[in-house]
Amino acid sequence: MFGYIMPDKPELKMKEYEMFRGYYCGLCKSMGRSFGTLSRFALNYDSVFLGLLLSSVHNEVPVLKKESCIANPVKKKWIVKGSPHIDYAADINVLLTYYKLKDNIRDEGGLLPRLAKLAFQRGYNNAASGNKHLDEIIAASITAQVLLEEQKCSSMDEAAEPFANMLSQLLAAGYRGDDQSVSRILGWIGYNLGKWIYLIDAFDDIEKDIKSGSYNPLLQQYKYDNQDVKAFKSGIEDEVRINLLQALSQTTGSIELLKLKNKGIIDNILYEGLYGKTEKVLSCITSEKRSCERDEKSVRSIGN
Amino acid sequence: MRNPYEVLGIREGTDAEGIRRAYMELVKKYHPDQYQNNPLSDLAEEKLKEINEAYDYLMKKAEAQGGIRSSRQQEERGYRNNQEDAGRSYYDQARAYVNMGNVAAAEEILNNISFRGGEWYYLKGLIFMRRGWYNEAVTSLKTAVDMEPGNYEFRDALNRVVNTNRQYQSTVYNRRGYSTGPDLCSLCQCLICTDCCCECMGGDCISCC
Repeated sequence: MFGYIMPDKPELKMKEYEMFRGYYCGLCKSMGRSFGTLSRFALNYDSVFLGLLLSSVHNEVPVLKKESCIANPVKKKWIVKGSPHIDYAADINVLLTYYKLKDNIRDEGGLLPRLAKLAFQRGYNNAASGNKHLDEIIAASITAQVLLEEQKCSSMDEAAEPFANMLSQLLAAGYRGDDQSVSRILGWIGYNLGKWIYLIDAFDDIEKDIKSGSYNPLLQQYKYDNQDVKAFKSGIEDEVRINLLQALSQTTGSIELLKLKNKGIIDNILYEGLYGKTEKVLSCITSEKRSCERDEKSVRSIGN
Repeated sequence: MRNPYEVLGIREGTDAEGIRRAYMELVKKYHPDQYQNNPLSDLAEEKLKEINEAYDYLMKKAEAQGGIRSSRQQEERGYRNNQEDAGRSYYDQARAYVNMGNVAAAEEILNNISFRGGEWYYLKGLIFMRRGWYNEAVTSLKTAVDMEPGNYEFRDALNRVVNTNRQYQSTVYNRRGYSTGPDLCSLCQCLICTDCCCECMGGDCISCC
């Protein structure tokens, strides 16, 4: 995925921060254990949120252990261990990374993504063999996405549909209980987060896609015609904001319907974290990328 | 009812596209937004109502004839009325489906209606909202409001999108501890200023000081 779903760290309580890091490190270790150390480089924040949300929905009491890590062998940290929801998030992270690499090869070719894909093959085989249905959901979404891009789809809503639907299904599929309404709520949260991720990434990538001539739904929707990029972005900023905020307010509206553990962390992410990210990306309308800090991985650069 | 062609300022026999264009021009002209601080706003509203009626009449007629003008007035009227009733009940059905959450059924009904007035776009907007297609939803709702600017229901639906966004934003501000409204201190300040101003002009707002 993309790595946009992050907490607003300064607004977290210390204990919340420790807990979030526990989930983060837990996911990283789970990936390393199941799919090899190399896969840990593909770890991203969106999957951490997925694991955290699913664990919280199931009211899981996390088993915490103090462990050291290759990134920091001296200092031991709390790590969430043996959570089936973290393992689920790890599977999804690996599957998505593999498909992303395949997509990179199709788009750009070159040696680097090919090597990365080769290195990921074993991890993918492991993850896919145990999760046939997840693999199918992701593959179907990618096929639909490729088709829309080939048709140069000019509706941002339509273009976001495959990704939003995929996240909706993946989140709902991670629910193990039998309450129909919970899986419906999770599905709607997934849909809206997927839409938000897709759109914010599209806005973030406008300059890059103009340069490389790649497909971008916003360039199509608002008929970009070689005008000044800055003017173009500030011209569409307000309309894009309405869409992004609507997706977020639908998400938080749905979250409020769930009974959750870790509500403090999840609220921090969905309110302060995502709103802050939205405004940061939208306000970044200069054409010189260097002046805007870019701390997330793009769709097209994962694994590179 | 006045001659609808006259109301819309077009020649008899103008095609559907021409009628629509004339109508949109007039709607823009008599839009309530243009008359907000004008004592003649009620007249503008009446005018707009007349324009809407004329437009509805002509569009339904154009549809009933399938684009070909018939000379037999009587037959035409009977046919048109049937169409109108049928159209009404279709809208009611679509509305009921939207309320039940059966988006696919509502959409199928709407797609079969070829006359597309404000209500059509309004219902379409609601359907898009339910599906999470916010951009299309806002576009449809805006069209509905533009076509019938006096319709509170349409306007309300559009405002709701903006309001939920605002709600979300203010939650974020409150959580961060930024206050969005005035605090007590600035309230007092305002009151004192008001009082001073009143006294300057010979009146008094707070009588004890």
